[in-house]
Amino acid sequence: MAVLIELKDVSKTFTLESGTELKVLDGISLTVHEDEVVALLGPSGSGKSTCLRILSGLIPANSGSVLVRGKRLQGMNPDVALVFQSFALFPWETVYQNIALALKRSELSSSEVKARVRKVIDLVGLEGFEEAYPRELSGGMKQRVGIARALVMEKPLLLLDEPCSALDILTADTLRTEMMKIFLSQKTKTRSMVLVTHHIQEAVFMASRIFVMGANPGHIRKEIINDLPYPRDDQSMSFRRMVSQLYAWITETLMPDAPISGEAISLKPRQKEGPIQPLPNIQIIEMIGLLEAIADDGGKADIFELAHGTGKDFGRTLYLVKAAELLELVDTPKQSVILTDLGRSFVAGDMNVRKRMLHELFGSLQIVQMTSQLLSKTQALRIPIQELTERVGEWLPNENPHQMVEVLISWGRFSEYFGYSDDTKEVYLDVGQETI
Amino acid sequence: MKKKASFLKGPFSFSDGILVLVTATIIYGVFSIANESQSDFHPATQIDLSVWRLPYYTLLSAVRGTVAYFISLIFTFIVGYLMARFRLAERWMLPLLDIFQSIPVLGFLPGLILGLVAFFPKTNTGLELAAILMIFTGQVWNMTFSYYASLKSLPRDLDEASRVLGFGIKDRLLHLELPYSAVNLAWNSLLSMAGGWFFLIPCEAMTLGDKEYRLPGIGAYMDVAISQKNPLAIGMAVIAMLILIIAMDFVVWRPVLSWVRRYRLDESISARVDEPLMRVWLRESPMLRLMKLFLRRFFGRLKRPRMKVSVKKFFFGKKILDFLNHLGTRCTGVFQVLGILCLGALLVGMSFKAYYLFMLLIRIPGASWLALWVDAAWTLFRVFLVLVIATAMSVPLGIWIGTSAKRVRIAQPIIQVLASFPAPMLYPLVLGLLFALGVPFSWASVILMLLGVQWYVLFNVLAGAMSISQTLNDAAWLMDFSRWDRWKFLYFPSIFPSLATAWITAAGGAWNASVVSEYLSYQGHVLQTRGLGAKLSSATVSGDFSLFAASLVLIVFIVFSLNRWVWSKIYAITQRRYRIEL
Repeated sequence: MAVLIELKDVSKTFTLESGTELKVLDGISLTVHEDEVVALLGPSGSGKSTCLRILSGLIPANSGSVLVRGKRLQGMNPDVALVFQSFALFPWETVYQNIALALKRSELSSSEVKARVRKVIDLVGLEGFEEAYPRELSGGMKQRVGIARALVMEKPLLLLDEPCSALDILTADTLRTEMMKIFLSQKTKTRSMVLVTHHIQEAVFMASRIFVMGANPGHIRKEIINDLPYPRDDQSMSFRRMVSQLYAWITETLMPDAPISGEAISLKPRQKEGPIQPLPNIQIIEMIGLLEAIADDGGKADIFELAHGTGKDFGRTLYLVKAAELLELVDTPKQSVILTDLGRSFVAGDMNVRKRMLHELFGSLQIVQMTSQLLSKTQALRIPIQELTERVGEWLPNENPHQMVEVLISWGRFSEYFGYSDDTKEVYLDVGQETI
Repeated sequence: MKKKASFLKGPFSFSDGILVLVTATIIYGVFSIANESQSDFHPATQIDLSVWRLPYYTLLSAVRGTVAYFISLIFTFIVGYLMARFRLAERWMLPLLDIFQSIPVLGFLPGLILGLVAFFPKTNTGLELAAILMIFTGQVWNMTFSYYASLKSLPRDLDEASRVLGFGIKDRLLHLELPYSAVNLAWNSLLSMAGGWFFLIPCEAMTLGDKEYRLPGIGAYMDVAISQKNPLAIGMAVIAMLILIIAMDFVVWRPVLSWVRRYRLDESISARVDEPLMRVWLRESPMLRLMKLFLRRFFGRLKRPRMKVSVKKFFFGKKILDFLNHLGTRCTGVFQVLGILCLGALLVGMSFKAYYLFMLLIRIPGASWLALWVDAAWTLFRVFLVLVIATAMSVPLGIWIGTSAKRVRIAQPIIQVLASFPAPMLYPLVLGLLFALGVPFSWASVILMLLGVQWYVLFNVLAGAMSISQTLNDAAWLMDFSRWDRWKFLYFPSIFPSLATAWITAAGGAWNASVVSEYLSYQGHVLQTRGLGAKLSSATVSGDFSLFAASLVLIVFIVFSLNRWVWSKIYAITQRRYRIEL
């Protein structure tokens, strides 16, 4: 099988506005061959979109090498077309013009351009919409234009950046099926596709190889071969088995504390020393909703069913569980989530009880204690947010410090531990002095 | 089928008549200007105050303004692009433009006149060019800033798409950069034209020391009419100017503003807006359609992309062609070097100028500097007063109009026309009224300044009031807010960001207007009050270059520092605190 593109030990670091450096990709190596669909699957922050942009040549890698047909890539990758999550259609051009724009750089005659555009319009089912402007189309139709525009370029490698995540579930299903139909029919010049997604079913439905990515910094956790025969049926047993196997892998990626196999229920005593735990980027109120959902299920729930039942995507649910676990409100043996005694009394209590408990539990987290120490060392019990951000950056070098401080403040406000004034840009210790 | 049917209506219609008239007028105007500028050098043209000559003068002024506008447009595209594209250009040119922006039009006068007239000693070309370039300096800055801001805020996904699609510089310009900036550029063009008309009188009738310069045009006509105390001529000039503004609004701005709506980014299909009559005519004109058809046939046959390439290949060979293409796509380096060279030339030129300026400035004694600062304080006080009055008037009016769709529909076109009307043309009439009321000139000049500046405030407040969130408005009614609470919690916070923008532009405008409103000729004699604008004007008229340079430097210094240290701070606060995210 011929190799289309190869990443060798690629890393990428962005410099944030504040000047701090954030590593988003670390040591990525992957190869895309002809006749395959590769999926990059991971939670937000795992750098999968960055990875795709490096493949396309939109952004250069900091280190490592990108090889296209054996040659080092410089500038844009001439072999790829890209489908955007946000469609990226030019609002002032019609559907026809949007697609034809992709052939601007080709040396085709106008009749050849016309023929090629007609062909893809026919292929993706846009007949009759040629003269429409993007703002007149629904999301599903817009993405069809996005796909048509990519196909018309007749490049061997098609990159898909979360192509369906801006669409509703039904539309996304249809589009996915149609994309695979077009790909498998071999009516186009597309030899291979690289799909970026956080949607597990989507990856299993489309990809023949799946790279599970982990976050902070983004790296490849595991490569999974998905040899289910095409066309795939998402209701079949084998499909479901593949999906739940992936769920298990991702659970392990995000919650390495929870063993996937083995009988022992994990009840590790929380380490006060040792690595500082980052806070998952979730809202406390969402986590409370999850706890209530678990309580409704009798205090114990399967994590997949929980995700399904609350209608949140799996990655998000995992973060919520992780947050609850951090606060010792749940335990996560295997793939189930169980309310602890603390968790039970938390759910049973009213808002005042809950706030009091949160105040205690939140206060015992290591990162919170370090922040409190920092604040109480000052005369006014307050420091500029800039300073806290710098310190958090030192404590957790792999996290985005701005985001971490945002979460810290959001949790801190809820549990009445910290406050923050946007006027003075200062974080303060909430000892009740700041009431108006 | 439809197209055929309207062909049968006949090759000529009423709208065609209008189009032919407009086209003929434009062609005639351009030829007249060319003719005037080719004529032998005669610095002070005799202005004939006969009403019948007025259309001709008006036409000449219109052509001058339009030519200046196109120069502004070209300047905007080049400089705006360079600033948005290259860090180096941005770092140097942005503050430079800020400074240029704070120079009143009159500040460019001596340099332009002396330089260009010396360059074209035989014909009137130099003088014409000087007038056009002065109008240009009254138009260009906000257009350039607007284009630059648009280019800096290109949506990221569209930028990436255009790179993945392999757009070259040309395609990027045509399909991304121009369309994206079109709406803002169109509105700023409208404002720029108004800004250009504002200084029409001093641009066409200038006194520099003992020399008088006058060009045939409506500004010069007004100047002569005022100095000859001819009320009929003054009145006729005002009417002619009004007709010019309304005609431009009808023929150019309304169709353009309606046309650029297709380039707005928001995805929603908004409610139908009435199509301006001019666009309907353009669209339905059988003659134009015939011409378009003909042109398309003609050029359609010529345009064969493949042939073009092979012809190029024939001449250049594959290697050279590849090299050129390579250069086209990755010529950043070449542009960088060119940019540095241009910048270097500019800096050398400017240091010469700075030296010259320095020599002028050291001739000013300390006492004069003190007097200049006192003058500056007077003008500063007037500017401040103008802002207060303009705000007090425009905020209630703007909110009253802006909160009702019906009132907006009626008022907006009227305001658009009135705001474009150059206030200095009304000065004689207003002064007559004020003097009759017994107002002294030092206070009257505040009113004159206000006349030109209040529109900035009203325009912006109106825009702000129109964008007041309907949900918040409903909520305020449901909660039964008192009138005061509605103002305090809804209206004022909603319009505050636009008010801040208004103050910045209005303050700059007021400083510029001080040049014509603190010093002017009225009924044959000169009226003057204490102020920096008056100093600048009188220094120009008396040809005292040292004083001229000193007051100019002071104005630029004050306006620039106010922008940097006061207005931008207020603006930043409003953007942070009163931004609405729903």
